[in-house]
This record gives sequence, structure tokens and C-alpha cells, in this order.
Amino acid sequence: MEFDMAAPGFEKIVSGEMKLEIIAPDAQVSEGPVWNKRTGEFYWVSIIGNTLWKWKPGVGREVVMRPSYKADGMTFDRQGRLVVAGWAWRRVWRMELDGTIKTLCSHYDGEKLNTPNDIVVKSDGSIYFTDPPGALNSVEMHGEDVQRYLDYCGVFRISPEGRTTLVIKDMVYPNGLAFSPDESLLYVNDTREFLIRVFDVRADGSLAHGRLFHKITGTDEGMPDGLKVDSEGNVYCTGPGGIHVISPSGAWLGRLKVPAHVNNMGWGDDDWRSLFIACDTAVFRVRLGIPGTPTW
Amino acid sequence: MAWTFELVHGPLGRPIGGLAWDGSGMLFSDIDNSVILRWDPRAYSVAPARKYTNRTNGIAFGANGVLYGCQSGSRRIVRFMPDGSATVPATRVAGKVHNNPYFLTVDRHERVWFSDPNHSALAVGPGPQRFPPLGHQSVLRLARGPRTDWHLERMTFDTSAPAGVAVSPDQKTLYVAESNNQRGGVRELRAYPIEDDGTLGAHIVLHTFGSDRRGIHRGAEGLCVDTEGNIIACAGWQRSGPGPLVYVFSPAGAVLETHAVPADLPLNCAFGDDRLGSLYVTTAAGHLFRIQSIGRNGYMPYP
Repeated sequence: MEFDMAAPGFEKIVSGEMKLEIIAPDAQVSEGPVWNKRTGEFYWVSIIGNTLWKWKPGVGREVVMRPSYKADGMTFDRQGRLVVAGWAWRRVWRMELDGTIKTLCSHYDGEKLNTPNDIVVKSDGSIYFTDPPGALNSVEMHGEDVQRYLDYCGVFRISPEGRTTLVIKDMVYPNGLAFSPDESLLYVNDTREFLIRVFDVRADGSLAHGRLFHKITGTDEGMPDGLKVDSEGNVYCTGPGGIHVISPSGAWLGRLKVPAHVNNMGWGDDDWRSLFIACDTAVFRVRLGIPGTPTW
Repeated sequence: MAWTFELVHGPLGRPIGGLAWDGSGMLFSDIDNSVILRWDPRAYSVAPARKYTNRTNGIAFGANGVLYGCQSGSRRIVRFMPDGSATVPATRVAGKVHNNPYFLTVDRHERVWFSDPNHSALAVGPGPQRFPPLGHQSVLRLARGPRTDWHLERMTFDTSAPAGVAVSPDQKTLYVAESNNQRGGVRELRAYPIEDDGTLGAHIVLHTFGSDRRGIHRGAEGLCVDTEGNIIACAGWQRSGPGPLVYVFSPAGAVLETHAVPADLPLNCAFGDDRLGSLYVTTAAGHLFRIQSIGRNGYMPYP
């Protein structure tokens, strides 16, 4: 796998022996890559294929849910339940351990959400998700109602008790999001503004002191979409040419060059040192030098 | 009879495209701002009627208050429902995502005829751009299938720059403005017979827009029809030719009237007001003009 080295430190992550392995060749716009540590299985969705898949090393893949209602970002909570940004279905939902689907949030202030895009669960069980309007405008990836109602693209928090609050209102197109390893910071990228913002996470779960963390640059195809953080606090963000890696201080370390349009990525395998990369055409896996932040 | 162009809104500095009379007000598409506005002639005021339309241009009513729109930014026709929601009927023709719908008309069977040129730069975001454009720029038709699901069909096989479309009051003719404003491009107002099996027959040319040493005479954009089956068309520009005009053609293509538009690049026209006796005209610079009592009444199957 090719990469661009931009600053010292990147050599801890990449090496010349890295190989990009194909996990799913016919992805039809893949998203939501997440590892289930309880079963040792990798989950993702095909948005156009309208299918939620899982894959087990050495076994292969099988359908978890079809239709997946054009679901997008996914993660697991502390109980091992799959928590999903439902995108074109315009809700955040959870797959209970018995397989039933429970809607956690579909409206805010009486209005239908835009299209929940990506999602993360904090150690206290609260859920943070972004709500840009992408599925409303995407032909072949729409749901039943494509009318937008909210006048902003928010980041929302669902408390452990199930109450939803708006925690960021002033971003143009919030998309990928992830906590720093100690959960004191929340990173959120903006697809339109081509940047990553960082917020202090207060004890009550609200956010403060939003500021620019890093501007994504480059002329190759690609844009800020998925965002993840490794165990040393480096930030991985999709962008022109592949996946950009940024140090905790905001310096550009380099990028992993992916030969496809990257939508998102997620850590996996037992040592969390694999990065699963969800692209339009395929899902890839690559082994990296620093483990990622484990998902619950 | 000379027409009096009354500027009722604008100029906005950006195009006003789609027009649809809702029975008591004129809806019009502020394309670049992704909003459909409504002009209320009684209150003499304008208010938003539908937000977040994602570059919707052509609009027209179907049955039960459904407003159809050419959502060019999403490469599809949408149905703006009376309850405020919006639904998507069908997006693929022969298995492929179509181009950027431009203008449309709804016939009495609630079939939606629309022009589908390739303006891919105007699609918004990467979602619609994941799909390549069609290899043709045609008039397509959206209709309900036997099980009330929607399907899309290609109707013209001889167009490359379709713009305005209209159906005659007797539902037997489709009028198409084929308007390639490049040198050597075809600029014609065409009449296609709608055959009993629903297909289009060979077209006749009602009017040809020319060119000379000054340059291209800009072809027709938006079209509408009156109760007698005459065709009203916006065409021309200040750059060359006879200038920006509203034409009235007979069904045989005779030029019955022309009226100079007091602004450049007229885009669309539609009837409104009492008994559909006024004509509304839009421009690329965002004028909304009204001409009252033009001595003709508009034909519209809905509302």
C-alpha cells in the first residue's frame, strides 16, 4: 500500500510491507465499518446494496439485515448492541441483542432529523451523532421523505436516559466524529469546510471551546467523511487521495493512499491494529503500527 | 396589442426557472437558492413556499395538490406533497440514473414529461455524481405502472439539448424546445405526435431559430399552451438576432405574435390569475414579469 510521509512520527504507523487486503469486492458504497470484539466479526453496510453485512476472518461474510434502510455510520455500545446512524431512514436506531430494532431518536424539537450520518458511543453510554442532509440529495440512496426540515446540520447527544440534546449547531456539514482516547476531546470533521474541529467535552456531556484542529488539503479526489482516532491520539480523516493522519497537536503526519473513494474506516481484529477501510467499490483491510481506539 | 410587462418581483440577480399556478398564487423556482417562492397577486407579496429544494427548476401540479419538480441538484423528479414532505417516484431509465431534469409538464393522465439535459456541474455534492451521465439528452416520461409503482421511459431519440416541454390541450401532441445555442447547433420548436400506444411519432418543426454574422439567435426555453392549442415560448437574447421575445405560435407553427421582453434571456412562461388570463414570464437575471389580460387563457390540466 502506498503512502505519503509528511512529518516524523508517521513511520510508527506505516511501513513498506503494508498490504491492502480486499475484504468485500463489490461494496456498492460501503460505510459504517466497525469491529464486534465479542464475536470477532467485522460489520459494515452497503448503502446502495441496502444491506448490513458481517464478515468473520477465515469464515466469510453473511447478511445481518436487508434492507438496512440505507444505514450509514455504526458502532457498538457497552452492552454489545449495534448503534446505527440510520441516514436515509432519518433516525438513530439500535439493534437489540435479540435482533429487534429500536428507534432512539428520529425528531428534534418536533422536526424530523436530516439524515444521521456517523455515530460514536462514550464510556458513560451516551451517544453522539452528526446530522448533515446528505441522503436527502443523493439519488439512489434516498428514503421515503426527502424533504429537509431542520435549518441547521447539528451534532446531537443522546443521554444514557435517552434524552436528545443539540450539542453543536454552527457547523456547515458535520460528518465523521470520534473522541480522543481519554474522552476529554471530541473531533468532528466538516465535509463542506474541509476541516476538523475539536471540542472540550464537559462532565455533563455538553461541548465547549470549539476550535479549528486541522484543515484538510489536497487536490486529489476525496473529502472529509469518516474520522477515527488511534490509541495514541492520532486522528485519521478521509480526504483527498485517501486517509489523512494528523498528530494530536494538529500536524499533518501523512496519508494512506487508497485506490478508491474512501467513505469511512474503523479499527478491528483482536489487537485493534487493523484498519478496515470502507470505499465506494470495496472494503479493504490494512495492518498498522499503532492500535486504534477500541470500540465497545 | 402591445403587452405591458409588469415587474412583480426581482430581479434577483440569479435565474428564476420553474413556474406553476396553484389556483390563487404563482409558484416560482429560485434555483440557485434552492427555494420555491410564491407570489400572491392579492397581497402583492412574495413568501417562501418550499425550502431546501436542491436546485429544483421546472415545476408543475399533478392531481391532489402534488407539485412535481425537476430536482436538478439530485438528478431526479420529486413529488412535493401537500403535507410538506417530498417523495421520489423513480430515478432510473433503462437501469441508469438519468441526467439533470430541467423543465417538465404534467399531462391529463398524470404522466410527467421532462427534459433531461446533462448539466452535471449543477448536481450538488458527491452523491449524485457517483453515477455517470446518460449517453443521451432526451425527453423522459415518468408514469405509474400497472401496480401503481412509478417507472421512467425515454421518449425522444433525436434530441441533444431539450429545454421546454408542453402537451397540447387534446393530449395528442408534445411540444419540445430543442435549443443548442452553440454555432451549428439545432434550435427548433418541435411537435411530436403522441401515439395511441404512448410512444412519440416523428416530429415536425414548427419554428427554426437561426444565426447570422452577428451570431446565434437563441432558441426557445420555457413553453406553455393556451386553451386553443397555441404555444407560447420564451426565446432570444440581446446579443444577436431579434432580441429577447415571447412568441405565440399556432399549432401549425405560424408566428401569431411576438412581444419584446424588457430584460435579457427570458427563461420561462406560464399562465396565472383569474381564468388563467395573465401570462407570467421569468428571466435568467431573476425577473418575474406579469402581463395581464393577454387575450388568451392558459391550458393546464391541474390544479
